[in-house]
Amino acid sequence: MESIYETVIRTIGWAGLSVVVIFVPGIAVAYLLSRKDFPGKHVVSALVTLPLVLPPTAVGYLLLTVFAERGLLGPETLGFDFSILLTWKAVVVACSVMAFPIFVRTAKLAFGEVDPRLEDMGKTLGMSAWRVFFSVSLPLASRGLVAAALLGFARSMGEFGATVIIAGNIPGKTQTLASAIFTAQQRGDDASATALLWVALLVGFAIVYTTEWLSMRQSREGGRRK
Amino acid sequence: MSEAPVLFDIDLNVPLQEFDLELEYSGSPKSLGVFGVSGSGKTTFLECLAGLKKFDDGRIVFDGEVWLESAKGKRTKPMYRNIGYVPQDYLLFPKRDVRSNLESGKKRLLENGLEFEEVFGNAIETLELQSLLDRRVELLSGGERQRVALGRALCSGPSLLLLDEPLASLDSGLRRKILSYLVKVRDVFEIPMVVVSHNPIELQALCGEILVISEGKLIAAGPPNRVFTDAGVFELAKEGGFENVFNGRVLEHSGKTDIVCLESDKEETCIRLPATGIGIGDKALCSIASDDLMLSLQEPVGLSARNCLRGRIVSISDSGSRILSRLSVGEGGPEMIVELTQDAVDDLKLAVGSEVYAIFKTNSVRILV
Repeated sequence: MESIYETVIRTIGWAGLSVVVIFVPGIAVAYLLSRKDFPGKHVVSALVTLPLVLPPTAVGYLLLTVFAERGLLGPETLGFDFSILLTWKAVVVACSVMAFPIFVRTAKLAFGEVDPRLEDMGKTLGMSAWRVFFSVSLPLASRGLVAAALLGFARSMGEFGATVIIAGNIPGKTQTLASAIFTAQQRGDDASATALLWVALLVGFAIVYTTEWLSMRQSREGGRRK
Repeated sequence: MSEAPVLFDIDLNVPLQEFDLELEYSGSPKSLGVFGVSGSGKTTFLECLAGLKKFDDGRIVFDGEVWLESAKGKRTKPMYRNIGYVPQDYLLFPKRDVRSNLESGKKRLLENGLEFEEVFGNAIETLELQSLLDRRVELLSGGERQRVALGRALCSGPSLLLLDEPLASLDSGLRRKILSYLVKVRDVFEIPMVVVSHNPIELQALCGEILVISEGKLIAAGPPNRVFTDAGVFELAKEGGFENVFNGRVLEHSGKTDIVCLESDKEETCIRLPATGIGIGDKALCSIASDDLMLSLQEPVGLSARNCLRGRIVSISDSGSRILSRLSVGEGGPEMIVELTQDAVDDLKLAVGSEVYAIFKTNSVRILV
């Protein structure tokens, strides 16, 4: 049987990978929602938030239909097979989708803390829109973005419902910290369940504590006038 | 031969919450002042010039370059207007040091074909920024932030400087210091500037032409000493009264006083003022409040006041609460505004053309820069 240590390491790896996957698109969506007005903005905002309010199993089922044989991204539609279902890739996809809303919402708040007049200032100094973004907005929102990444990571670490639907709960292959707790509890292995619980508690607390600290710093340093 | 285009050709119609900013102006002053009380639309005007305010109706041409022509759907983005904007709250980039802030417009300066090291060195010297370069902007005082914000604008190679209330958030001691930096910037860099302020003295010290805005409408335009003695404008500026501001050069140190010769095209006029600390031959900007001056029909004798200038009244106007008499000192020398009461005008039978003596004490003269 796989050790607790291996399960934890593997879960941390998948959660980290999910954050990598959503980092750039998440920042782009958060910046657009924070700074730009465009038709359908509220629809985009609602769609981005949807996984946060839907039952995770519903999101898992939706992903299952998307990646199914005749799904939107299935082998028959695309002409090639991602070979995602019931693999570690499915875990990353499920974690990414579930972490995306919390990442975007936190990153949006981080950009919201940046005084838009500082961006205007950059423009008057001859900076292009891209340069204003990279040399003014991004550095000033950096702490909030790190907080967003940490919260996304924490959400991925705890992901269960969507993951078991599309990746299963295969020990040594697709089993995560959350599904390992479920399995241990189901088979009456209280010692393993408790050990896994402690790991989840410690990692979760460390992440939430750090994000709180970062958010406070972000508010103070964002440059937005009070 | 084609004529040089006017520097500013502006026609704005900007809807605001309480009123519309409607302003039409065309002129070529090297430094244009915009005066008005708080909430009159001054900052909006500056933001329109900077391209930071979006509106649908207007035209802005600077030095022949069309920045906005709503009729043709043309709007130049702020990054292409080549401006150096110094807002009232400076807006320095946080979490960076002074050097990094000064270098933030370097790319444009280089694109404009200027030598960055030369402009950077010039800005540092003029604004005395050398000792601040490695300091984080969060640790700077108000006056230092103002200088850095000015330096940052200058180091971006602008063709127009926009200064929003450059002295408003500083205490009185710092104001004089920063005003002297602003005068130096104007004289050393020779970049056209638009200065927005609610303080007539600052504008008189810095600008050759003034626009007065009240509730979004242009109510007066012209040289400072004409505009600020206009009855409508004088009421707006009445808190500070009218200050006669003169450029001059220190002629002599004499104990605890200095003698400064005022700049004038025709006749040299010298006044005595408290010791300035300025070297002989150097420029001095000084002011005398119009209500610190008195007039006499005869040359006074046995007076303790050290300054007595002969002149002729060129106009008398009623500003509403006070009478303002414009005096031409000597034969076509500098002009002075003297505030009088109606009683004094009647008793002395003052009229245009009357020859009078303007009297003021040494301590009534303030040195601005």
